[in-house]
Amino acid sequence: MDFEFSPEHVALRKMLREFAEEEVRPLAKTIDREHRVPWETLKKAAKIGLLGVPFPQKYGGMGAGETGYCIAMEEIGRVCTSTITNIGAHIGIAAMAIYLDGTEAQKQKYLVPLASGEKIGAFGLTEPNAGSDAAAIRTRAVREGDSYILDGSKIYITNGPIAGICSVLAVTDPTLGARGGVTAFIIETEWEGFKIGSQENKMGIRGSSTSELIFDNLRVPQENVLGKVGLGFVTFMKTLDYGRASLGAGCLGGAEAALEAAMQWAKARNQFGTYIAAKQSIQWMVADIACEVEALRSLIYRTAWLIDSSRPFSREAAMCKLYGSEVASRAINKALQIHGALGYSSDFHIERGWRDARIAEIFEGTNEIQRIVIASDLFQQIGVRIRS
Amino acid sequence: MRVVVAIKQVLDPTGFTVNRRAEKVFVNREEHIINPADRCALEVALQIKDAVGAEVVVLCGGPERANDALRYAWAMGADQGIHLTDKLFAGADGLVAAKLLAAAIRKLGDVELALTGDRALDTGAGEVGPRLAEALGWPHILAARTVEINNGAVRVIASVGHQFFAMQAQRPAVVIVAAGANKPRYAHGGRIMTSYREWKPEVWSASDLGLTEADVKVAIEKRGQAFPPERQPGTILSSADELVGMLKRQRIIS
Repeated sequence: MDFEFSPEHVALRKMLREFAEEEVRPLAKTIDREHRVPWETLKKAAKIGLLGVPFPQKYGGMGAGETGYCIAMEEIGRVCTSTITNIGAHIGIAAMAIYLDGTEAQKQKYLVPLASGEKIGAFGLTEPNAGSDAAAIRTRAVREGDSYILDGSKIYITNGPIAGICSVLAVTDPTLGARGGVTAFIIETEWEGFKIGSQENKMGIRGSSTSELIFDNLRVPQENVLGKVGLGFVTFMKTLDYGRASLGAGCLGGAEAALEAAMQWAKARNQFGTYIAAKQSIQWMVADIACEVEALRSLIYRTAWLIDSSRPFSREAAMCKLYGSEVASRAINKALQIHGALGYSSDFHIERGWRDARIAEIFEGTNEIQRIVIASDLFQQIGVRIRS
Repeated sequence: MRVVVAIKQVLDPTGFTVNRRAEKVFVNREEHIINPADRCALEVALQIKDAVGAEVVVLCGGPERANDALRYAWAMGADQGIHLTDKLFAGADGLVAAKLLAAAIRKLGDVELALTGDRALDTGAGEVGPRLAEALGWPHILAARTVEINNGAVRVIASVGHQFFAMQAQRPAVVIVAAGANKPRYAHGGRIMTSYREWKPEVWSASDLGLTEADVKVAIEKRGQAFPPERQPGTILSSADELVGMLKRQRIIS
């Protein structure tokens, strides 16, 4: 059993660490304050292949696999949650859907511009009436000749305002429901009938743009059906599965940043005649964060290995997302406490980390859903069927 | 046009801490990086390649781990990488390093320009560049900030103190690049993957370079190593007037 990363992944991590410190960190506070997308960073990221990490080089990606992708999420997530949200939604769900179920022609036409960073991607699943209950979506796709006409809207879509290409889920047969009645499509945001709706004003990840997508008589050619007609739910759920492990890796980066910050402050802050690192209460908090970070790291990279070696990984990926989001929240919460009043100040970075961390327990499948996924998988192994 | 870049691999300074009182260096993380000034030199070579087309060959001496430095240099865009390694090269000083590099450059042939950083983070002697030029019998220019190819010459803006000088040398020449002269590009992640999966540097030993043990005998004997003396505290003045008086007496202001 070899727990070392391969030398190419070690080299990749080093390059990304430098990129994160030099290019991403300086903008972290600004994009949060100004509530804007770090376009400069996304352009530079495209130049080094950071917008297509897991995808094969023949599609314009880095060819670094899920392991390389988790490394990228960890290194950038360590420095700026907003930036990694832009990148993670783009690679992990938007482009991933096309990579998993696209035809070769669709990959050439849509995956290549996404992986090379020429266009940004978004994943259109959630609707006002369909969050955790994704099967309750109402966006309609009606067959008309050799196209489909889409009508409806999506909500809370990351990268909605900046995407050139979207993977969208719509109902093609209302009588069949999620099993056989729902189809995935690839749409280009320049098409007539596509519009961005209102933008969300969020607690955190304010450097990531989130909005409604509105489809009004949007004509989609049948060549843009993603996967099989009627089986779009399968495509989308499969894509979310893959996205979970890497989201957990982003949380790992955030938790590591919280740990580093807590330790540096504990060393610098003097009270009662010595640094507060000398106090047991601080030591225990640091030890607790460190244990969880270590456990999370092993979970993430073992899951990445499962994915890269084509082994089943659904349950582990759900664990990565569930545990990762909760570890990150606990870590930043403790780090904030260790920083005392400074942790509460908006002029310092800790409170931004605290606001940014919260969303991870909610998006890409709430932690409640993750628990159901994990329990279903476990019980199935002893013959108990939980989900219908 | 063939351009050679000589790089050195040094310990990552963020990986160690120094305890002055114990006079000890603690290596917390043994990680290596390409010497920053040499990375600037490589960036110069790659910019020349982008501008006029050139074949960029990177040379690096050192143990097994120098491999990683060469792979990253290739990933940044170099065309070829050569690892100069041999038991005989262990403990090489600036003189020996220059001899190795000169031998490699002569073996390569058709080299018009050799670039290297002004000094290494670890030794800081800054001698390899000029020694290399002497060993090759080529002119050299120090402290280069920008480098341009100009017909049969190389045109350099060099910095000396607070001044800049425009200098020119006929090729072949050695140009020594100042640390911080430019912002080196990042290697594309895909090329980093390929640099390990599909590529590997060439390896040249002492015999490949036609060097004997006598040729690579070190000229310097290292007798010891110590921390520089503790900085003495300065003079504390009690008022602005005192400061002004002091500056006037030293004729720094009139």
